Amino acid sequence: MTALSAPEQNIPTPGPAAGATVRVEDVSKWYGNVVAVNSVTFEIGPGITGLLGPNGAGKSTLLHMLAGFLASSSGSVQILGQTAFGNPELYRHVGLVPEREAVYGFLTGWQFVLMTAKLHGLPDPEGATQRAIARVEMAHAQDRPTGGYSKGMKQRIKVAAAIVHEPGVLLLDEPFNGADPRQRLQMMDMLRQMAAGGCTVVFSSHILEEVERLAENVLVVVNGRLAASGDFRTIRRLMTDRPHTFTIRSADNRRLAAALMGSPAVDGVELYSDSLSVRASDFASFTLAVAGVAQQADVTLYELLPADESLESVFSYLVNR
Amino acid sequence: MSQRAEAAGSIYDLGYRHYDGVRLGRRQSFLSLYAYSLRGAFGLGRRTTSKVIPVAVVLLAAAPTLAQLAIAAISPVDARIIEPANYFDFVQVTLAIFCAAVAPELFARDQRMRTLPLYFARGLRRDDYTIAKLAALATALLFITLLPQLVLFIGNGLAGSDLAGYAKDHWMELPQVVVSGVIVAVFFACISAAIGSQTPRRAYSTVAIIAVLILTSVVAAVIADTVGGVTLKIVVLLVPFEAATGVIRWIFNASVARETNLGKSGLDLWICFPAVLTVTAITAWLTFRRFRRLDV
Amino acid sequence: MNDTIVRLTARQLFGQKRTLFIALLVAIPVLFAILFRLNSENTDAMDWVTNVLFVRVLVGSLLPFVALIFGTAALGTEFEDGTAVYLLSKPVPRWKIVASKLVVAWAATALFVLVASVVSAPIALQGSGVDGSSMVTGFIVAEVVAAFAYCAVFLALSILTAHALLVGLLYVFIWEAVLTRLFSGLKYLSIREYSVALAHWIGAIPNVIIDPQVSGATAAVLLVVISVGSVGLAVRWLGRWQIGETA
Repeated sequence: MTALSAPEQNIPTPGPAAGATVRVEDVSKWYGNVVAVNSVTFEIGPGITGLLGPNGAGKSTLLHMLAGFLASSSGSVQILGQTAFGNPELYRHVGLVPEREAVYGFLTGWQFVLMTAKLHGLPDPEGATQRAIARVEMAHAQDRPTGGYSKGMKQRIKVAAAIVHEPGVLLLDEPFNGADPRQRLQMMDMLRQMAAGGCTVVFSSHILEEVERLAENVLVVVNGRLAASGDFRTIRRLMTDRPHTFTIRSADNRRLAAALMGSPAVDGVELYSDSLSVRASDFASFTLAVAGVAQQADVTLYELLPADESLESVFSYLVNR
Repeated sequence: MSQRAEAAGSIYDLGYRHYDGVRLGRRQSFLSLYAYSLRGAFGLGRRTTSKVIPVAVVLLAAAPTLAQLAIAAISPVDARIIEPANYFDFVQVTLAIFCAAVAPELFARDQRMRTLPLYFARGLRRDDYTIAKLAALATALLFITLLPQLVLFIGNGLAGSDLAGYAKDHWMELPQVVVSGVIVAVFFACISAAIGSQTPRRAYSTVAIIAVLILTSVVAAVIADTVGGVTLKIVVLLVPFEAATGVIRWIFNASVARETNLGKSGLDLWICFPAVLTVTAITAWLTFRRFRRLDV
Repeated sequence: MNDTIVRLTARQLFGQKRTLFIALLVAIPVLFAILFRLNSENTDAMDWVTNVLFVRVLVGSLLPFVALIFGTAALGTEFEDGTAVYLLSKPVPRWKIVASKLVVAWAATALFVLVASVVSAPIALQGSGVDGSSMVTGFIVAEVVAAFAYCAVFLALSILTAHALLVGLLYVFIWEAVLTRLFSGLKYLSIREYSVALAHWIGAIPNVIIDPQVSGATAAVLLVVISVGSVGLAVRWLGRWQIGETA
């Protein structure tokens, strides 16, 4: 809830420099007068890349262009060295998990994945289906019609269908929507394994924490433009190297305020009737320091909230920088 | 610890504002829904491709008026081929296709997009919703059943040399045009609404509306050729095109040609009026019932 | 053609509701034939079966309507439901997708219309002493060929626009049924006219019964041109299909 500790559990995978599989060069997409994507350029290699941005930023448009379902208005989109749009043969190496919940409701999970395997022309469709379904842990529900699945189950069977041919590039549009926390963890594990196996995984999300936990490489899209790209930790530092405001409630706000003023991580403190507002120069050093300061001053912390940590404020900071 | 738990339940202020203005209530929601639905019928506020079909169909329905006015302008003698009493003959298929295009849009869209709970959670009652939608559909249909004829009426007046004389000779036509136009619009609106509201799938209701409005007239024609008699009388009363034609001719006090299905049935035209009223009432009731019973 | 897509499409098209509805439609001409049989003292059976049952009801209304339903649904429902991406994100050549979808729509249309024809025509002709076998054969061949052309046109239309069903209705019930009657020159641009001409030609139907303005050979050529052209456009449009903003 407080988003203060960033769990560092990324499996080391080759960075983007190690041979790009996805190449986007000066790509724009407009609908009439509306510009959805505005001259975006980036390269992605094997590993997990998060496409982060608020709703309506152009993430889906970008992902659809990568998937070959939208032609760019200008610029080039290349997957594994080939043009993405109008190139069905490319799907041998690309898996796509669309955002929409739609499935063929009358097919069972098994039939749906098997159909996908057959459409890919796999030599052993049954075996591939079995492996893919086991991977998303859906074997227990594979003989039920997908029309009766919950949101999270539909999501998982869609993922199973997308990985049945073991693609080199896996594209997922908002894959964690509708998944419960356990399914989310399980899906994250699976994506990490695929990335470890050399797959280029690209997923979109508007939730910072998801991207933070999963992606080592990140593309931040705001208003159709690429606001930031590269190593997640670098971006994170760029995002956090700015004045932050925290709201603190404690057993003794006044004493804590005095103690905090002694800390170099703190720029200023304002004392309100039942809370403190603290301006910190650096996100990381302050969050590391605050517990120690409170302990030394013998004040119990009740609550520590970043006052401006909403995604929108981070984005607006990045864009206006 | 309990304090901590309480603290964890706080809500960030992201700048959302409460609405402090006056709440306009049920009447205003009703009027907004009506206006919004009427705009939706013509694809206003939607993307361009949604406007093409309704606008094209309305223009198609106006074609007979334009043709007649063109004839009147060119021809030296008073050539009135297309008249208020037979206007419906030229636009009935167009009207049916307009119903098939618009009724699913008005009655199925909210079910498909699952937006009905949003309406029913407001001051608006379920019957209000149905009335607003029915009224919007009927109003939209007036663009086909009434508007071209009003244009024709005015155009005919202006085309002649003697405007005052024309008005004197034809003043009775105006109330007849209005009354028949409104009856036909409400009649077709209720039938299409009863069908269009039954399924969230646009394609299904479009096809069903066409089947009920257009294919039934094929049935009437074949029955007229093969069976005739009482069967034909009953069929004619149940087939929307035939019953509507009957009512219109009755209102204009005009006769029907012998070779038409209505003519072959030998039916007294006034009977079409109660038949149309009954079908309108039943289909309206079906529409109300659908939205009263629908689990949202 | 692709087996998997054919089977998938067959399951999509033969859903319970749709099949039941079309079965009801198919029952209409059969009912007509029975009514005719019971009340046909003064009417020429050959003339009625040709002009009313086939030209007006089966070829003129039922065939285009059923073809419209199946032709637009074969791919159209996939676009509407958002399942098209599963089909299109596969290394299957686009012509195979079009061909598989079209074959199922065509087979479904032809099946229903053939059943209606084969059941209703003999009922109406029975006991009249007329040998209508050549005429019925002509119409059945024409129906099967025209079903393909209709389905191809409507399938192509469903890729181009989400409003394919309405555009198709305007074509069938305004263009073919009304405008071609008002402006006879348009008969050269109507699948319905081609089908009647083809039936007239193959069935060797006397000119006193029907007298189409297009020659049978011309009609056959035009039907092939329209079918091939529509399939070509469908493949081309599907290859360039883009996901909608809201889809």
